[in-house]
Amino acid sequence: MKTQYKIALFLIVANTLMLIIFGGSVYYFLYNYSYTDFYKRLGTRASITAKYNFDTNNKNAESIKIIREQHLEKLSNEKEHISLINSFNDLKLFAEKSSLPLSFIKEIYINEKGNLQIENTFYSGTKYKAGNKVYLVIISAENYYATHHLALLKNIIIVGLFFIIFITISLSFYFSKHIFDPIRNITDKVKKISTDNIHLRLEESEKDNEISQLILTFNNLFNRLETAFETQKNFISNASHEFGTPLTSIIGEADVALMKERTPKEYQETLQSILSQAERLNQISQSLLFLAQTGYRENRLNFEIIRTDEIIWQAKEIIDKLIPKNKIQIDFSLLPENPFKLKVSGNKQLLTLAFVNVLTNACKYSNNKTVFVSIASSNHQVIIEIKDQGIGIPESELQFIYDPFFRASNTHQFEGYGIGLPLTRNIIKIHNGQLLVSSVVNKGTSVQIKIPLIQYNENRMKF
Amino acid sequence: MTKTILIPIDFNPESLNTLKLALKENSISEVDIILMYSEYLTDSITELLFYSADRIIQSHITPDFEETISILKNRYETGIKSIKIELFHGYNINSFKNFIKAKQIDTIYIPKKYTLKLKKNGFNPIPFIKKSGVPVQEIEWDSNFFNS
Repeated sequence: MKTQYKIALFLIVANTLMLIIFGGSVYYFLYNYSYTDFYKRLGTRASITAKYNFDTNNKNAESIKIIREQHLEKLSNEKEHISLINSFNDLKLFAEKSSLPLSFIKEIYINEKGNLQIENTFYSGTKYKAGNKVYLVIISAENYYATHHLALLKNIIIVGLFFIIFITISLSFYFSKHIFDPIRNITDKVKKISTDNIHLRLEESEKDNEISQLILTFNNLFNRLETAFETQKNFISNASHEFGTPLTSIIGEADVALMKERTPKEYQETLQSILSQAERLNQISQSLLFLAQTGYRENRLNFEIIRTDEIIWQAKEIIDKLIPKNKIQIDFSLLPENPFKLKVSGNKQLLTLAFVNVLTNACKYSNNKTVFVSIASSNHQVIIEIKDQGIGIPESELQFIYDPFFRASNTHQFEGYGIGLPLTRNIIKIHNGQLLVSSVVNKGTSVQIKIPLIQYNENRMKF
Repeated sequence: MTKTILIPIDFNPESLNTLKLALKENSISEVDIILMYSEYLTDSITELLFYSADRIIQSHITPDFEETISILKNRYETGIKSIKIELFHGYNINSFKNFIKAKQIDTIYIPKKYTLKLKKNGFNPIPFIKKSGVPVQEIEWDSNFFNS
């Protein structure tokens, strides 16, 4: 069953139920009231009649009679039945005379009062004692109000009920149908988007309601999906290229060497070149493995308390060995006085690797121009900024820099295979940190690494 | 000896370069720092009725700016006694002189090249500062120098 019909059905049932309860209770209470009220009126008349008929004080009786005739309205079909009761036999006679059931007359005699309804005629009787004589007075009349007004009310309620139910049904169906219109629109549009046209987006509306939030969420999802798709495409093409290049050169070298008889020196050269290409392949596959391992976010890693400035010095020492011509300047002008503000919890090897990666990139892509490294710490995190004056990254390609094997379009003259930055990002992620890259082409790149301080990190883990 | 210094700011982290360099110069003595943002007061009576300096400051302050302050606080932990952000609403030089007097400012540091990037209702207090009669030091820095 569609949600639409569920809602409609629910609305109809709830509304109908409420209406029936309302109409029913109006009718029921009015019905009850009209009956008790009518019996009361009959009872009053009976006792008045008894009074003026049998009161010993004649004057008094006369005046009561006058008042009754003048002020009490005549009920429709009003009749009086009066009888003197001396014995049980008189009750029977009275019952026969007034053609009323004996049980009713007995009831009046015993309880001094009694009410009875036969069809539309209502009877109310009272027992009256004047001296030692006992009289029974019964007044009967038709309840005009009950027979006519209540019937009218019943008709009105029933007709009104059907009318309102009809309106409720149509409104419920209308609302339940149109309340889902925006959602149905979204469904239709999302259905149209497939892997071939994943660049399509839903139209975002200006209003800030649940539907526009849903649309926004969908669009964000598509953005991420699109990036993931692109990443995968890039990964495959880049990976095959990266693995392919050394393999091609190995095959080429071997082919050429085998074409004819060579001198041992030539063989040695060939083998040397093949070896270096194979080493390169090995390096790529190893770093890929490393990337995959750090991507898991496993807790098996050994975390210790380390000082970030030490890590930077270590990274610099490593770079000094790898690229002796580097010009890395470490700026400690913003170093906090309190060494606790430098301590983070992390894995020494991994963090050093991350900084070495960023620093080698900075040196490599700037042809060993000066690289500024500055370190500062706020109350929550250590901030390390690495600024180079290199070739920069084109703005349109900034979103892909964390994809494995992705290399920016202006990096052809540099060696590399595009694993360093994704690896660095994985490492920083493991440490709950942030990696921000901003860049201007041909001006330089600045990489900001933010790692939470120990206390802060602990607090965050607690909650 | 404690000194009180005043630095005009625009709630851009860059404007805190003045503070950074002033602190570098001043590293011997303890300082109370007053960061001053100058803004014309609103004309609306209802807004004045619910005036709150804290709220105005909160509306201007950015996480970056706060972080920069905390970096500087960490860097010069022993040198900085306090850092306060104050609003200046005056229209003329006399009100500025009163402000200086009330806060007992010893030195004012202003940037030489950097012009304050003012927000709505803000105004440039540099002319007042130069005429205030309190020692003024101009500080110069490379535009590409500061981080975070």
